[in-house]
Amino acid sequence: MAKNIEFERTKKWENELDKCIRCGYCYELCPLFKSYGWESDTPRGKLLMVYGMITEKIKPTQEIVDKIFQCFYCKNCSDNCSAGVPVTDILTDARADLINAGFEVEGTIAHIDEELCSVCGICMSLCKYDALKIVDTGKGKLKVKVDKIECRGCGLCLAACPSGAITQKEGCNVTLPELHESVKEVLKDEDKKLLVFACNWSVFPGMQLSETETLIKTPHGIIVTMCSGRVAPELVLDAFEEGAWGVMVAGCPPEECDHNGNYKARRRLILLKNVLKDLNIEPERVKLEWVSTGESAKLEGMIKDFAKKLEKLGPIKIEV
Amino acid sequence: MKKIDFEYLKKIVGPENITNNPVDLYAYSSDASVHQAMPQVVIRPKTIEEVQKIIKYANKNKVPVVPRGAGSGTSGHSVPIDGGIVLDMKHMNRILEIVPEDMLVRVEPGVVDDDLNRALKPYGLFYPPAPASSRIATIGGEIGANASGVRSVKYGATRDYVMGMKVVLADGSLVNLGSNTRVHSSGYQLERLIVGAEGTLGIVVEATMRIYPLPKYRCLGVADFDKLEDAGNAISEIIASGAQPSLLELMDGIGIVAVNKALNLGLPEVGAIILFEADGNVKSAIDYEIKKMKEICEKHKGYGIEVSYDAKERQRLFGGRKKLFASLSKYKEGIVCTDLADDMGVPNSKVAECAKKIHEIAKRNNVIMAVYGHCGSGVIHTKIMLDPKKASQWKDAEKVVEELYDYVHSIGGVTSAEHGIGLSKAPAWKKARKDILPMMWAIKKALDPNNILNPHKLMDAPNDWVKATGLRYKVGK
Repeated sequence: MAKNIEFERTKKWENELDKCIRCGYCYELCPLFKSYGWESDTPRGKLLMVYGMITEKIKPTQEIVDKIFQCFYCKNCSDNCSAGVPVTDILTDARADLINAGFEVEGTIAHIDEELCSVCGICMSLCKYDALKIVDTGKGKLKVKVDKIECRGCGLCLAACPSGAITQKEGCNVTLPELHESVKEVLKDEDKKLLVFACNWSVFPGMQLSETETLIKTPHGIIVTMCSGRVAPELVLDAFEEGAWGVMVAGCPPEECDHNGNYKARRRLILLKNVLKDLNIEPERVKLEWVSTGESAKLEGMIKDFAKKLEKLGPIKIEV
Repeated sequence: MKKIDFEYLKKIVGPENITNNPVDLYAYSSDASVHQAMPQVVIRPKTIEEVQKIIKYANKNKVPVVPRGAGSGTSGHSVPIDGGIVLDMKHMNRILEIVPEDMLVRVEPGVVDDDLNRALKPYGLFYPPAPASSRIATIGGEIGANASGVRSVKYGATRDYVMGMKVVLADGSLVNLGSNTRVHSSGYQLERLIVGAEGTLGIVVEATMRIYPLPKYRCLGVADFDKLEDAGNAISEIIASGAQPSLLELMDGIGIVAVNKALNLGLPEVGAIILFEADGNVKSAIDYEIKKMKEICEKHKGYGIEVSYDAKERQRLFGGRKKLFASLSKYKEGIVCTDLADDMGVPNSKVAECAKKIHEIAKRNNVIMAVYGHCGSGVIHTKIMLDPKKASQWKDAEKVVEELYDYVHSIGGVTSAEHGIGLSKAPAWKKARKDILPMMWAIKKALDPNNILNPHKLMDAPNDWVKATGLRYKVGK
């Protein structure tokens, strides 16, 4: 249903929205566009909708809301906009106005299954945006509540939740079940003995718009994740179970991750290595590397070196 | 508007590749031009057969079909002025074949220019036309507009690279045009007819394009000028001298201020700068060309000249030019960059005069215009910077467009050098090229008798570009 609403927070952006010349550079590296491929998934498409709503050319509908709330806040759009349009700031204000108008939202926001959630609070300590809070339900029970305006959809909480209570909408290959499927799919090929989880924001290996070979030339398997912090330990174990001899996680160098997901990945992998020791699996089969934007050649070299080491180690000798 | 059988079309492409959701229709209502009009349906075909079936349906039912690539067109080519179907071709995006031994590549129309060049690089090859929007521009869209870019002074435009193509005609039939050979003298050069046709004669569903070896060396130089006319004269003389630049770009003071504001580049804020480049496999030959161009710049009071072979340094020197178009919106608070009168072509000897005239016309009509472009090929880019909220500014823009094109045509220039005519340039172009319109209409009627392929563009476009469609800005009184 279309609604008449006041865009109190968003209206101030009208002049900035006028500046968008719709060159389209914003969607070149947009993961949402890459996943869905419609113009309405591009940042410029969303800006057009926001502009349309605040200038009353169109009325807000649930369909528009669904699109506006799909964004991982990687800011590739804002960073690539030479007209300096603050795309994600505008979208955040539009989100606030739409939520205040009573729209139901899902988008790429974290969703908590209250039945599964033990209210342990681990997710809260991970969230850089203070988007998770423990609140009293009023029935003598506590629950974790997601601030739908502040949640950036980074997914760090998903990978860390011990109860598996946090989910995100599927479709962008970011949820754990989707990544589990990808691991299986890539390692179906028995020649692939090494699996790389490569951060989307650091080397963009999967981000070309055309169907060509990946930018990284390697015979080994690559899965693009939205952040290295999304690589849950069970995904690494999954890879071993599917026959991988080793797993590399390639993330942004220190200070370069917007979500601090790289630090989370490092801590998690150190703990995982200890677990692997107990399982009699050589910990050096798991490797974390820092790779910055545009360093595809460096990553290629790292993969080659790691593959050589794995050749010496051979396959894992025990059942995982 | 014609009623469209959505369910029938859905069966052709599957439910995931068709939409009539108002959100999607609104998103597809604009490209990079000032225009806005909604389609009734958007379809993403994946195969040639699907395109054929869609076009057959459209022809039978006289429904307009507008092909769309990246939606980066500047003159409203892909804005569906009559509603109908927008064919989003981005999903036909496979590089089908790279054949180094025949120096050709076979691609689907949705392949992005930069992606193609990334795929060619390991072979030591490249696809030269390179419009500034190469990071998103599709080969199909480039064919539609006969796009070219910064290296057109040496490497030419898209038309020079088209060897052959598969095209779905208005009746849904498929034709194979051109050849796999570097030359052919076998009948009408129909593949070239499709280039620059802006989707009005057929839907390009596959293209065979010529490719070139990547040059071993590239050297880029930058020269500052206090006066725009001096820079223009230097450009004319460089071309007339027989020098062989691979790039020869001009950027005026307005452009420099804008990129400095947007990108914090710290360029010296002078009257104009020229970027000149030479490439090839023999370093001494490049040194010779660069020296020659440097001397001509100095002769015309160019100074602060820097030259570099280093890739990173070249990128630093060139970075501002690549993002100039968008940066112009940062020039002054309250005014924005609109894509109007954006790519006229003039004879090289007229570059300096034309640059001066543009500023004169802009000042007289209360707007700001930047002058930049691939002036080595005679391509002058301008943008009209105005307050889009004021109706009076659109009247000013109308006057600028008319005056400017009258002048350009009077000195033997062309309305569009590389972006195409679409909607916003059509009135001026029609006025200047009355002689060719009957011939174009005859071709159009022969190939598309029901006028379903991108109707009301080019010679068929309305005579008032401001009212041709809605404007995508909110215009007050």
